[in-house]
Amino acid sequence: MTVRSSVTWRDVAVPGQPRTAAASAELGSRDAAAASDRAAVPRKRARPVQEPGLKRANFGEGPGLPTLLLLPQFLILLFFFFIPSLRALTQSVLLADPFGTTVQFVWFDNFKALFASVEYRQSVWVTLQFTVGQNVLTLLVALVLAFATDRIVRGRSVYRTIILLPYAIAPAVAGILWAFLFNPAVGPLAQMLHSLGVAWDPNLNPNHALILVTLAASWKHICYDYIFLVVGLLAVPVSLMEAAAVDGAGPIRRFVSIGLPMLGPTVFFLTVMNFIYGFFETFAIIDAVTKGGPAGATNILVYKVFVDGFVNLDLGSSAAQSVMLMSFALICTLLQFRYFDRKVNYGV
Amino acid sequence: MKRATFMAVLFTILALAPPASAARIEVQWWHAMSGVLGDRLNEVVEKFNQSQDKYTVVAVAKGNYDEVTNGVIAAYRAKRPPEMVQIAERGYLTMLLSEAVVPVQDLLEQKGYKVDFADFIKPVASFWSYKGRMSALPFNSSTPIFWYNKDHFQKAGFDKPADTWQELEKQLYAIKAKGISECGTVLPGDFYWSLLENYSAINNQPYGTLANGFGGLGTEFVYNKTKVVSQVARLKKWLDDGIMQIAGQGFSPEQLFTSGRCSTFVNSTASHGNIERNATINWSATFLPHESDIDPPLNSTIGGGAIWVMKGHTPERYEAVAAFLNFVAQPETQVWWHGATGYVPATKRAYELARERGYYKDHPTREIAVLQLSRGTPNENSRGFRFGNFVQTMLAQRQEVEAVFAGQKQPQQAMDDAVKRGNEILRQFEKLNAGKDLGGDR
Repeated sequence: MTVRSSVTWRDVAVPGQPRTAAASAELGSRDAAAASDRAAVPRKRARPVQEPGLKRANFGEGPGLPTLLLLPQFLILLFFFFIPSLRALTQSVLLADPFGTTVQFVWFDNFKALFASVEYRQSVWVTLQFTVGQNVLTLLVALVLAFATDRIVRGRSVYRTIILLPYAIAPAVAGILWAFLFNPAVGPLAQMLHSLGVAWDPNLNPNHALILVTLAASWKHICYDYIFLVVGLLAVPVSLMEAAAVDGAGPIRRFVSIGLPMLGPTVFFLTVMNFIYGFFETFAIIDAVTKGGPAGATNILVYKVFVDGFVNLDLGSSAAQSVMLMSFALICTLLQFRYFDRKVNYGV
Repeated sequence: MKRATFMAVLFTILALAPPASAARIEVQWWHAMSGVLGDRLNEVVEKFNQSQDKYTVVAVAKGNYDEVTNGVIAAYRAKRPPEMVQIAERGYLTMLLSEAVVPVQDLLEQKGYKVDFADFIKPVASFWSYKGRMSALPFNSSTPIFWYNKDHFQKAGFDKPADTWQELEKQLYAIKAKGISECGTVLPGDFYWSLLENYSAINNQPYGTLANGFGGLGTEFVYNKTKVVSQVARLKKWLDDGIMQIAGQGFSPEQLFTSGRCSTFVNSTASHGNIERNATINWSATFLPHESDIDPPLNSTIGGGAIWVMKGHTPERYEAVAAFLNFVAQPETQVWWHGATGYVPATKRAYELARERGYYKDHPTREIAVLQLSRGTPNENSRGFRFGNFVQTMLAQRQEVEAVFAGQKQPQQAMDDAVKRGNEILRQFEKLNAGKDLGGDR
């Protein structure tokens, strides 16, 4: 019912639709409205505006109340998205003293310098390795865990809770934990690796550092993917699974041949979310585990934005970098909107 | 409701407060000192507040140096800067050319205080002055010294660490070979400061053109053509041979020394407080080593912070600021701060005072930094470092050195790249500040 309200608000604005008719629908009792609502469903596709019993949320006349209700969200967007974005855009074409006392307009010099810089290209490459690695690892582990959820009979809720725990841990804390576990001098897991003959040292070896932050970032995000996958698996029609079981397919075969394909849209959505997570939300982990080092091996784009802006005080370059990142996030989101809705049909 | 409670509380406080304090002028000082150093700083402020009844200085800890810098930038842009702020040495040119500060010497003279600026120790004074005038008041000045584990050296049959890098290397290899300690030394977190910049000053190596930047913004780095390259190669060799260890993220290199794991440690004299408190070993300290073919070695240079005065406040508040700065510059305050923290006394008179009182008889290691800073006559290579965007060039350099440690680059290649990157950053600073006269401050 409440979900419908947004639809009706749009309907009211349709030209030719008398407002009084829509308003009179409000007079119907709650039950009557609900009943006619259900009845209206088959006809809805044909002419939604003429549904007689469709409940219209009462916002009164004019845009006053709706605007007021939208205001908090709008203000949040204004102060935390639009104004900062605009500031970043202007700053990215300026060469400025951090105090803002000396400002020069430099056109696209900041971007040119960025594309010419070896470090920026290295950072893009590192980010790509990091996010792809993190994505694959997170999804694979989450899939295995989600598959296992169905097989566990006793203590399923305990199992789920334990898997969800990392989500409740602050990224910085998680980062310090992993840095400690794998510290070559004192970390127990590092000692284990050493005894296996691996010269593990993330403080010196760029590859080890990248592996370490990828592990830490994935560990933190597996639970997120896990929830979606478990729910996705629940939505797989039981009849299909049972039919396959009757035909003699084992649990793994059923999962691979039926569960996985049906999870397609979920996996696609999660891939996009994982990329966004990798791009933006792994800052704290990098800061706690490696600080972008050694030799820039874990200097992912979002961390570079921070260091250039807040440590190096190179505001122009930092702004140019965040504009690049912002465009990237936009592309991700557009891709998701465009393809997610299309492929969501199960066709069952 | 909340507002009402707040007002009620406010009125109660006002009613209870002694009337005298209402007349006090309050000024803020944002700083970056934490732990023991933060406590000591608060004591300095408390001493000042109690020494008179006209002004109150409020010290506000704003995190580390980077965070303080960002805090004051944001506050200045919002037109609400604190009256005073403590900024690290690398931020000197950024602050000086920001047009957001009031030169300290101008302010003190204008308010009628007679601080003897000629009395400041040479490398300290020259670092913080522009054209012979002090722009910020040196508050916590330090310099790297060489810390060592006495027992390790004695067990290996050495009285003390050698004066030269060549001899020292033999000692460290011997200590390791005899199984006395796991590692000869630990890489300091700020190795670029102690083992590259101060190394250059002590060994009379140019770091940049135009007297390391004192001659103008057109300066360029040249350390890829000096002994710095072989110094980086030496560190890499020590690392490969297990003579030097890296503490790594989340661990302080200091711990590897104070716990007795590594035999030596190059670090700031300001770690006296921490080492005295944490060390379980029989430690001592001495001068930084120098190259065997450089004799006599020159002075080292300073690190640490100074107090900057921000623009945009009323004359009354500047009265308070000047009174406080004058208080900080007094020999008594300097001697107390020196003893309480390990930072060097900024003036010669304060140093004399500490010596007359026999302070160094009980604390011989506290004198090393002063002696090392003031030995000989500073020349263009040892006067200090004045580069724009100095934090940024340093981080680029550190990244290149890490590439050497990781085995990705040869020392010469890495230093060439570091210089190239650094010079690009310097040119950007020069472009931004074009027209702001900096020529000829030698």
